[in-house]
Amino acid sequence: MTNYAKFFLSLALALFVTPPAQAHKLREQGVDFSVAKSSLTVTPTRDWNRLNGRRGKRTERWTLDGPQLNDVTFFGGVEGGTSLFKGRGQQKDALPKFERSMLLIDIPTLLDSTYRVTRGMRSFDILDIEPQPFLGAEGVGFSYQMIASNGATLRGEARAVILDGELFMITYEAPRLFYFETYLSDFQKLLDSARIG
Amino acid sequence: MSAKLLKAFAGIILCAVGITSAQGHNDVAPLPPPYAGHYQPEGRDEVGLWQLDDENERRLANAPILIRDEALTDYVHEILCRTVGDDRCGSIRTYIIREPTFNATMSPNGTMRVFSGLLLRMRSEAELAAILGHEFGHFEKRHSLNGFRSRRRGTDILAWSALLVSAAPSQQGFRNHQNLELSVYGELFSYKRNQEREADLLGLGYLNASEYRPQSASEVWTNLMGEIEASARVRGKRKPNFKRVAFTASHPPQGERAAYLKALADPQGYNRDDGALRYREMLAPFLSLFLEDQVRHNDFGATQYILNSLGDLGWNADLYFAQGEMYRSRGNQRDFANAIESFEAALELDSTMAAAYRGLGLCLIRAGDRSRGREALKSYLELAPEAEDSAMILMMIG
Repeated sequence: MTNYAKFFLSLALALFVTPPAQAHKLREQGVDFSVAKSSLTVTPTRDWNRLNGRRGKRTERWTLDGPQLNDVTFFGGVEGGTSLFKGRGQQKDALPKFERSMLLIDIPTLLDSTYRVTRGMRSFDILDIEPQPFLGAEGVGFSYQMIASNGATLRGEARAVILDGELFMITYEAPRLFYFETYLSDFQKLLDSARIG
Repeated sequence: MSAKLLKAFAGIILCAVGITSAQGHNDVAPLPPPYAGHYQPEGRDEVGLWQLDDENERRLANAPILIRDEALTDYVHEILCRTVGDDRCGSIRTYIIREPTFNATMSPNGTMRVFSGLLLRMRSEAELAAILGHEFGHFEKRHSLNGFRSRRRGTDILAWSALLVSAAPSQQGFRNHQNLELSVYGELFSYKRNQEREADLLGLGYLNASEYRPQSASEVWTNLMGEIEASARVRGKRKPNFKRVAFTASHPPQGERAAYLKALADPQGYNRDDGALRYREMLAPFLSLFLEDQVRHNDFGATQYILNSLGDLGWNADLYFAQGEMYRSRGNQRDFANAIESFEAALELDSTMAAAYRGLGLCLIRAGDRSRGREALKSYLELAPEAEDSAMILMMIG
């Protein structure tokens, strides 16, 4: 087979065969997974589903019952001068950017603004912010409540840290009624397993 | 199908869909017609629309995005009543929604939704009255029903055309169908724009007959153009064209609206009160919340324009604070100096504003003045010891 033939064959395969890596994928308990194309690693204590598609260059989403019911997002080393999510169309101009000089206390506001621009959140109330260790460094833990554009009230819990000028964060969001409390402990176990490397 | 036949067909469709010319021919917008009493839905289409809308209104009444403040809701409703008259406004329920965009909507059963972003941008009762009058115009002219019917007629015609073309397929037939699609869709959008023009004209008619200054209607759009231009300028975008009508535009361009509303405003009403001071006073308790929502949307140019526009009547602590937060959230090193200045100005006017100490402290720290930053954060905690971020601030104070 000539080089040209090989090239076209591989191109055809790439185009017509759905690569399994692009599909939603099971994340089995007890296995180490590196997330968000980064050195951030977690070991789930129950099976999770990794969702296809990325909201941001350095993000990855996991869920148990679907992203509207429980949504865990990993941010694996967002660089200074870039936004958390990619955004579409006019959103791109409005997306706030993470800056290396940001303080940990600024991170909840960054998430707030990002959500209002990309997800049309009507309100974002911080319920609590506390210093909490994360990935072996001094980080920030915060909880929040927001009203989505469809009127649903969501609760969220997040842990973030800035390491060498890059933002590492894990968020968990779920409807305030029933789902948030029900799966909070599963998220916390996932969070506790997070490490670099 | 020949081109002649196609033109004839398109002509029939245009008549069927119906064009309503809203441009008045008088010097000023005509006074509203006499009130015909409480309107009730007629016919299957309208009864159906109202039933759907009743259900939507029930949901709206329980929605978390509703701002449940009786005084504010009554105040906005009162402005509507003063604009369209007590008899007319009796059939309307007003709801204030937390949504930081420039908008208000009116649905067929008389549900008026006023967005918090609109309240933030209006500078007087007269400006708000212009928008409320416009929305009421949609209700009085039953635009939702007519719009629904025109869409149904248009899409029916397209469905029949598609059926005929598929029954006797030919290249020419398919091309004709595509042309017809363009004509019908173009006409549907144009019909919607004409409805908006008609509502503008009716709204201005109410304003001309009311106690408010009718010239304010045009100023609303001039102000909005200023905001859009400011937003584009800061983002390095090309200056928007306020006269261009896009094929799919649902509203006439802002430039056109500002021009005809100015021309049709009753000159005798020029010196009437616009209620700016009363409006500012009533909105004062909500200003900080509405401004926070605006700042979080991260549209620097628009926020700056709104702040300057509100500041025309005098800068208060809320405006300075929002300006500080606007600079702080953009977060360029050069922005911190402006943010610090704004927070200090806010504190000069209101030394008990805890959030301004917080903003000041965080900006000073990011600007490298750690000791002054810590002092400001200490003042923040003294004023707000129970703040949700107190543990974090305590750690920063050290």
